[in-house]
Amino acid sequence: MLSRMPSAHKSSTPFLVGLLLTMHGFFVVIFLVANAPLEKTMGIVQKIFYFHVPCAWLLMLSTFVCAGGSLAYLFRGSERGDRLAVCSAELGVLFGLCVMVTGPLWARAAWGVFWTWDVRLTSSLLLWLILIAYGLARRYGGAGGRRLAAAMALFAAADVPLVYLSVNVWRGLHPTTKVVSSLASGMRLPFFLSLAIFSALWGVLLTVRMRVERAQARLVELAIAVEDAEGKSS
Amino acid sequence: MTYVALAYGFIWGAVFTYVALIGRRVARIDGEIEDLRQRVKPGL
Repeated sequence: MLSRMPSAHKSSTPFLVGLLLTMHGFFVVIFLVANAPLEKTMGIVQKIFYFHVPCAWLLMLSTFVCAGGSLAYLFRGSERGDRLAVCSAELGVLFGLCVMVTGPLWARAAWGVFWTWDVRLTSSLLLWLILIAYGLARRYGGAGGRRLAAAMALFAAADVPLVYLSVNVWRGLHPTTKVVSSLASGMRLPFFLSLAIFSALWGVLLTVRMRVERAQARLVELAIAVEDAEGKSS
Repeated sequence: MTYVALAYGFIWGAVFTYVALIGRRVARIDGEIEDLRQRVKPGL
């Protein structure tokens, strides 16, 4: 039985290497962002864009991955799908928090207010709150909590197209999706590199979080097996 | 400039806090594994 014991940090080297590489990438991105041309109307505050948009992209990606894992859990009973869903939901909450903080900071400088009930802002807040509710349902939802949370993940995924297209359909204060394709040439490299580095960080965090979740599940199984064995022998 | 620094600082802080929380979770699981190992050792 000892040989079947899981280890939460058995192969932490790839994680550390991945983390160091992405950190190195962040330094390159910060250097490029600092040297990128200033936007004419907003000036230096527009540089929040280089981190704000990748965080928003990861919020949406996490939601889709969470919904995919939840579908696998709901219709095939896949435990791996369920683990993928909970880990990506957690990352969605993390990057959603970054969006919810950096967005209002940018808005305060650009629009003069921290918050306005613009459709993009409201639908993004709703998406983030659904992901938080997903975590709460799992933690406090009792026996059916995991299935309830999985159903909520599908609602969250349905909100993603609304978040993305809202700026094109209902014109508000938030820039449209065309802003990326119309970036000045000097802004493209820092932006797309930032997007790639953030996505790499997301991949590293998701991988290590999945390992921890797997080790936790295995540990629970073994603890139950040990208790059963001890009960039989006494 | 203050808003840019706050935004960048917040993201870095949030990511580092998350990594630290995962580290704490790993340490807790390792502790539980060690407890289980001690319980199993006598009888294997």
